[in-house]
This record gives sequence, structure tokens and C-alpha cells, in this order.
Amino acid sequence: MANLSVTLCGVELKNPVIPASGTFGFGREFDEIYDISCLGGVATKGLTPEMRLGNPVPRIAESRGVILNAVGLQNPGVESFIKNDLEWLKHKTRVVANVAGKTLEDYESICARLDGLVDFIELNISCPNVKSGGMAFGIKPESVEEVTRVAKSALKKTPLIVKLSPNVESIARNAQAAEKGGADCLSLINTLTGMAIDIERRKPIIANNTGGVSGAGIKPIAVRMVYEAAHAVSLPIIGMGGITCAEDAIEFLMAGATALQVGTQNFTDPLACPKIIEGLNAWCDRHGVKNIGELTGTLKLN
Amino acid sequence: MREVNALVLENKIIAEDVYSLTFSTKERLPIRCGQFCMIAVGARPLRRPIAVCKVDGECVTVCYRLKGEGTRALASDYHAGDSVTVLLPLGNGFYVKDGEKRVAVIGGGVGIFPLISAIREYGGKKEIAAYMGFRNKQAVCMEEEMRKNATLTIATDDGSVGYHGTAVEAFEKDFERFKPDVVLACGPTPMLRALKEAMKDKGIPVYVSLEERMGCGIGACLVCVCDKTNGAHARVCKDGPVFEIGEVAL
Repeated sequence: MANLSVTLCGVELKNPVIPASGTFGFGREFDEIYDISCLGGVATKGLTPEMRLGNPVPRIAESRGVILNAVGLQNPGVESFIKNDLEWLKHKTRVVANVAGKTLEDYESICARLDGLVDFIELNISCPNVKSGGMAFGIKPESVEEVTRVAKSALKKTPLIVKLSPNVESIARNAQAAEKGGADCLSLINTLTGMAIDIERRKPIIANNTGGVSGAGIKPIAVRMVYEAAHAVSLPIIGMGGITCAEDAIEFLMAGATALQVGTQNFTDPLACPKIIEGLNAWCDRHGVKNIGELTGTLKLN
Repeated sequence: MREVNALVLENKIIAEDVYSLTFSTKERLPIRCGQFCMIAVGARPLRRPIAVCKVDGECVTVCYRLKGEGTRALASDYHAGDSVTVLLPLGNGFYVKDGEKRVAVIGGGVGIFPLISAIREYGGKKEIAAYMGFRNKQAVCMEEEMRKNATLTIATDDGSVGYHGTAVEAFEKDFERFKPDVVLACGPTPMLRALKEAMKDKGIPVYVSLEERMGCGIGACLVCVCDKTNGAHARVCKDGPVFEIGEVAL
């Protein structure tokens, strides 16, 4: 039995496996299938200061080895989460509150509201910034640094994870920008922007036209980006993007991740996370790894 | 809800482009009429949400139309003796109250299949009149199954069999004679809209089962929402798929 626990920003997780934001709600539905207290943590559905209805349907499409989604941040708002779900989830496992906003003020207020109430804040910076013509906060290093700094200034107790978008010129530069802005940890990658077309209707399948691509097919891109980010900053990294099994997860650890998020695979197999945790333990035992943390960043380039 | 490694007993064509898949869950599960399951098809990232049509002890039958890659693979790659991974039962299902004695069931296309589960559940306990719409004679299926527990009116778009017109029209013509206490329906959105219009002043509860592209199937991902008439959203997979028709904007 290997020791699967990892420490992120001084917070201990019983294992490195965290369901990714948007695929797991606040955990209640999956808890009907298995006891989610086996998880290292849960990254919540993206929270905004006010409730949001999100995009029109269809919001999802499938392509070879990947899916596309454009839910549009439907969520009940941060106050509803605090009132109805937070206490329940805290009793189960570590809470990674994923937050989003349309303005810097949104990020500041939601971080201030959640400070000290959750184990981590994860900043979704892939949302359009209404004040800069709709370009996402996460695209340019300057705005990554700015939104990180604003969020960090509102946080006195809770560590800040910045979730990086892969739709950028240089993941290393954006990772450094987040570090400079005061991030305590990085998570990556968010989805890649894509399109899938219904050729009978000559229209995109998703009502929003484009959607975020995720799933097994994006894993090599994600592993490369985790590797590049890990070598550009001295922050711990949560790796994600197409993890379907323990072996996939180990690639991310070797590339430089300390913890992991699993997203799309929760749809493919609702028991994915517990299976990956079990698989990590079995792999460590087979390879004589006593602490899973030993694997982080052990990749040797050719 | 349970994740089950089921055993395929039969997977056969029952009408043009429509298949019936029966699998054994190896133990009896508490499945209601109108509930659905998420079926894993090969290594595809998304499962396919398909309504339960029949439950017989531990044997569950679902019917599906060949629509895209997933349903085609489900038809071609799964044979008796294979295993198939299924999450079930999901969603709320149909409920008919004790006082509701006369039940009208209106279906179109693959919407007939969840209604067959309702006909089976309430057959013998309620008086059921079914109005089922198909494109043409070739598309008609499971007629005998429906006639066991309901008086059946078939409607076809081309009039090649039964009433020449839609299932909703056939139902409207028979309304004064049958005088239903409750209506259950499932089918294409234009059909449900026509039903909503036809029933707006009748004061009779109408329950419709909706369809939407799904992610998780259990209410976590908020992909399959529908608009409610009060401006909010409901999750088709978890709050539905069955809604009172006045609750949802069609």
C-alpha cells in the first residue's frame, strides 16, 4: 500500500485525484454512485457572484476521442453554493472552489467571499473580459498577471490556484505571469477551443458554435504543456487534460504535476476517479514507489 | 442508480433503422416506467442516453433509432453473449396518481418506447388509450406489445396504415369519447407543442418526457437543460426527463 497523499500549498490531500470543474457539480450526484470522500478533493462547478443560466442547448458534442462543451457557466451563484452545498462537501473532502467572472471586480468579490471557507480557490481565467472587448483574461500574460493579482489581494487565508488556458501563444510565459501575479499553484490545461459540424444541417452541433475540447484526445498536448509550465515556474502544478486511467495520471506526475484533475472521463465512466486512485496505488506497489510524490517531475528527456 | 456490467441477450432490428436491445442486469433493479439508462458504446467518450422500454425481472429492453456513429456501433458491435456497461435507472419517470383512472398515452417516433414502459406498468390497473404516430407502415413496431394493455390508435404521416395524420390529431378526435384523466406523451418537439396547444384549456394534467444531448446523465454537468416557463432551467436527466407540460417551454 503506497502513500498516495500529497501536499499542495500546505494542504494535505489524501490522494492526488480531483474531479475537474464542470464535470462533477458539487459532488452530490456522484456521491449517489460512490462515496466521494475517497477523493483527494472536488473542484466545484464554476461559481460566479450571481446565478447564471448559461448557454442555449445543445451544449455538448462528441468527436473522435474527445467531446466539446459550451455550458456557459450555468451555476446557482456563490451564495447558493455557500448556503446549500459547501458544508456537505467539506465533510466529504477538500474543496477546490472554481470561480469565474466577467470583470476584475467579479473576481475580487467572489474571492473575498470564499476566503477562509474553502481549501483552495481555482481561478477560471478563460472567461471573456467584458471591459477589454471580450478577450479572455487568460490569453495575454499581462491580463493573466493582473487578474491573478486582483484575486490574490482578496485572499488572506485560502491558497490560489490559477487555471491556465491552452489557447495561448506561450504556456510558459502565462505560467510565469500567474506566478508573478501571486498564484500559489497552477492547474492546466483548461479546454482547447474547437468546433464540430452537423453536415446534414451545415451547422455547428453546439448552439454556441464553438466549444471547449476535452477528453483522451487532448492528453499529449496537456502533458507537453504541464511539462513546459513545470519548468517555467517554481509553483506546484495540478495536471489535467484527457486523463482516463492511472497510467495517464502517472504521465502527468512525471511531467511535473503534484496533483491531478479528471474531467471528461467522469462521463465515460462514472467510477473513473476511484478506479484511477486504485490504479495509482497498484502501479506504485508494482514499481516500488512508497510515496506517490516521488514521481513528480521525474521525467528524463531523450 | 447503479453501474452494471450487463449481459446482452438480444440486439435486433424491429423496424426500419430501429433496434431493440435486451440485456440482463443480473439482478432485479428498481426501475420505473419512463426512466432511462446511459449505455457505454465501445470506447466513445460519451454514453448514449436511451429510455427503458420493457423490464422483465432482471431483463431490460431499450429501443433506439440509428442516428449517428454511437447508435450505429451499438447496433453492429453488440451481440448476444457480449457484455455492455450501463448506468441505470436514471431520471424521474412517469407517475399516474391513484385517482387518475383513464390514461391517454401519445407518442411519436422513438418517443413510443418510454411510453410502452408506462403502458406495461399501468396495464390492467388503469384504462389506457394509446395514440402512436409513425412515418409510415414500415416504421410501425411493437404493435402487439401495446395492444396487450391499451386500446391502440396508430397514426401515420402518409396514411399507409391507421389514421392519416399525427398522433395528436388522432387523440384530439377521440378526446370526447375517451375523456382521459391524465395524458402521458413523448415525441418530437413539434408534436409536444401541438399537444400543449390542444390541451391548454382542458384542465387535465399532461406529462411529457423530453430528450436532450447529455453529458453525465446524473445531473452533475448541466449540459442537458431545458427552459422552464418560470425562466429557470431544469436538468432533463435529473429533474426530468418527465415534466408537467405547463412547467416547460417547448
